[in-house]
Amino acid sequence: MYHKYDAVVVGAGGAGLMAALQLVGKANVAVITKLYPSRSHTGAAQGGICAALGNTEEDHWEWHMFDTVKGGDYLTDQDAAEVLARDAVERIIELEHMGLPFNRTPEGKIDQRRFGGHTRNYGEGPVRRACYAADRTGHMILQTLYQQGIKNKVTFFNEFHLMDLIINNGRCVGVTALDIKTGELHTFHSKTTIFATGGYGRCWQVTSNAHACSGDGTVTAYRAGVPLMDMEMYQFHPTGLYRIGILLSEAARGEGGILRNSEGERFCERYAPTLKDLAPRDMVSRFIYQEIREGRGVGPNKDYVLLHVDHLGKEVIDSKLPDITDFARTYLHVEPYHEGVPIQPTAHYAMGGIPTDIEGRVIIDEKGTVLPGFYAAGEVACVSVHGANRLGTNSLVDLVVFGRRAGQHAARFIKENDYEELPTTPEKRSNDLLRFVEGGAQSGRKESAATIRKEMQECMMTNVSVVRNEKQLLTAMKKLQELRERFTKVGLTDNSTKFNTEKLEVLELGSLLEMAEVTTKGALERKESRGAHYREDYTSRDDKKFLAHTLAYRSPEGSVKELRYKPVTLGRFEPKERKY
Amino acid sequence: MAIQTPERPKTALKEPTKRSRWTRTGARPRPTNAFELYSWYFFRVSGILLLVFALTHLVVMHLINNVEVINYDFVRQRWASPLWRTFDLLLLFLALTHGMNGVRTLIYDYVQSKGWRVFNISVLYIVGIFFLLIGAQVIITFNPNLPSLPAK
Amino acid sequence: MQVTLKILRFDPEKDKKAHFKSYEIEADPLDRILDALNTVKWYKDGTLTFRRSCAHGVCGSDAMRINGRNRLACKELVGDIGKKITIEPMLGFRILKDLVVDMEPFFEKYRSIKPYLINYEDPPATERFQSAEDREIFDETTKCILCGACSGSCPPFWSNSEFIGPAAIVNAHRFIFDSRDQGSDERIAVLSQSEGVFRCRTVYNCTDACPREIPVTKAIEQIKRVMLYNR
Repeated sequence: MYHKYDAVVVGAGGAGLMAALQLVGKANVAVITKLYPSRSHTGAAQGGICAALGNTEEDHWEWHMFDTVKGGDYLTDQDAAEVLARDAVERIIELEHMGLPFNRTPEGKIDQRRFGGHTRNYGEGPVRRACYAADRTGHMILQTLYQQGIKNKVTFFNEFHLMDLIINNGRCVGVTALDIKTGELHTFHSKTTIFATGGYGRCWQVTSNAHACSGDGTVTAYRAGVPLMDMEMYQFHPTGLYRIGILLSEAARGEGGILRNSEGERFCERYAPTLKDLAPRDMVSRFIYQEIREGRGVGPNKDYVLLHVDHLGKEVIDSKLPDITDFARTYLHVEPYHEGVPIQPTAHYAMGGIPTDIEGRVIIDEKGTVLPGFYAAGEVACVSVHGANRLGTNSLVDLVVFGRRAGQHAARFIKENDYEELPTTPEKRSNDLLRFVEGGAQSGRKESAATIRKEMQECMMTNVSVVRNEKQLLTAMKKLQELRERFTKVGLTDNSTKFNTEKLEVLELGSLLEMAEVTTKGALERKESRGAHYREDYTSRDDKKFLAHTLAYRSPEGSVKELRYKPVTLGRFEPKERKY
Repeated sequence: MAIQTPERPKTALKEPTKRSRWTRTGARPRPTNAFELYSWYFFRVSGILLLVFALTHLVVMHLINNVEVINYDFVRQRWASPLWRTFDLLLLFLALTHGMNGVRTLIYDYVQSKGWRVFNISVLYIVGIFFLLIGAQVIITFNPNLPSLPAK
Repeated sequence: MQVTLKILRFDPEKDKKAHFKSYEIEADPLDRILDALNTVKWYKDGTLTFRRSCAHGVCGSDAMRINGRNRLACKELVGDIGKKITIEPMLGFRILKDLVVDMEPFFEKYRSIKPYLINYEDPPATERFQSAEDREIFDETTKCILCGACSGSCPPFWSNSEFIGPAAIVNAHRFIFDSRDQGSDERIAVLSQSEGVFRCRTVYNCTDACPREIPVTKAIEQIKRVMLYNR
């Protein structure tokens, strides 16, 4: 089926909805999502959204910018960080006007609280910068933006799975997507395409990400020839529930929770004497990893540590950390009033993704050449505003700031440009892919998608997680190549057309396998330690060689063809050693 | 009937919204269709009244006096008092309207087709009002001064 | 532990009627029902179809009927439910395939109550002020994730496909009780229609079903009272 829209937004999370809202009234816009908008993973964010409003104490956007750059271990592009910190203030006010029910100060202003890595006066001490709506800030942002989408009568294509990005004559001219309900392929012809498809945390065994976070947008762009940037920069959140990875917000440690090993020792003290348990995410994850590796993990397999909040008392736990205790009780049958909660680092956020400039335009080389008509925003994009390690709450800021900018720029592009023609066979690549997956019903295709996925997730967890080294990364490369080979013989038992979720899972696995490989390849070649990327064979940061973004290009058969490096945009803040 | 979303009232732009009691600053709602509201409210009020009336009825007719004592004379004596007549009239009215309201909601719950709904509601009202009328007629027009029936 | 999952199956391309099928699987007592369903899908029967995404109770994709009660499959543990687990799609919704139901009418009803802030005044340069107490009034109903568990557990909703249902009312509550909102009369005009708020029979199934612990019935009663007191 053929559709024609001025703008097609893929993904209905925070960034996608924000972009779509900029276009309503100015252009006809369609939003494609593989779930329902209110199911997007933005809704899982808990803690808050930072902006230097200064509602409770002095704060300036320059301080926020500094924290973002330093938190990203100076891999952050500083022009982007400036935009993020400046625009954040206006965006929060805009969200409030849209109806977002923020918590309030006694005077009725938006309340703000402390969050890991956010400081006053360039690192002097913690600052209250995170605006929040109880412990469900992301949920409220998602709901509010979806509500505005309803108000503005945005056209949603719910439960459509992205298949391909169509490029013709050097311009992005639309996408193809599979209607999950009917199994029919749809072609969306558009002047502009905005990707806001989120991350790919399902590459790892223990992740806070949704099943739906399979890197569909990243892989689609990659397959269409767009490079992926900084894919080795993948954040592990220190406090995921043991085994299942559900996130326990930083708020637990912000309120005074502490981590202990099997000997009952508060081990963070040893590694980060000043900030202790509130050191940035990448560091705390490494501390935990180190404890487990040295045999001080808890449990029969000595593979987790304990997060203690029991000393805070029932009242504090109930009033400030209700969700966290709820998760511990529901999923582990652990009572946080009296005992420690088993936690381990969990795959959480992709700093890398589709490279864009600060207007959300996708760029395709180290010189910053733009692919006209193609935009990306949110976790799928790499502006790069998070550099090598994202600060808590900045993901939500990223969504609304760059989602809006992408939408605004797309609106201008639509006004100034006409439709570019579709190529003669726009659906060819999608149909080939579908035919490959559906071919799994034939005899001789016996590989199980579930087994391949499990092996990939275990491999990534062991070899490409918090601490990396050359030997493990090479093992992972070999394993991933083997899995990609086996994937060509993947089977399929469900040959129905309507709501065939088995088919979708195979498609998602295909994308995860490629994402895993790009991540591993980038990590292998980045011979330094920076932010979330820690190499025990190269433990220091190497600004001479690697103060640069990795750009990964794909070969036709799916492996990484080449890596190039794009210099970081510096500015106001000179790279310094990152100490807390 | 499907849920209709009425367009924003045109006056809303001109008239500043009034403040109401239930939040200090919220807009005061003005329902357009009050039938469902009043029928819901009537349900609650009539329910409480019926509890009193029906219990009194039970105590008087079945506990203090048993069935053997209740005969034409008994009724004649009771209805000689306007108080008891009013009591029974109210009991009749409340029981029937409360019951009809209940059946009406059941019809709304279970009968989806418009035609059947109209038919069922019509039957309900006709039967209900018929019983209400003949009941009321008996209570109102009863003449307590007629001689009692000859004893057998 | 050994668990028997009895799942209501329906393939629109093959079946005329839904039927139960049982699966024996090995599960950890701490596995979620969703994990058990995945075990079946991945290793026993790839055709089993259900929606899922976040797997920890915030996206609202996997509301279904588990041993007769509406629950999110990702918020219930196998060990808590028992060795015999019966799973059906929610009642009151059309089945599309297996456990997947048609959510479109549900979202249409949600949209009918204008689920967005209505304020006819120009916004100030700063945020609109709201006291912490005013914010607290509608706190509970902001938790809704639109999973449909409440509506799917509501007897009037089962029998009457036109009834707006508890989920839409909860979302109306979220705005009616927001001091910044000026659209209450428009929403109440919708809710006072014959298929609106007064079809609620205070069964309390919705309150039991809500995975976010919203006191749904209480919210509905508050709306009825507001309608009465403000006439």
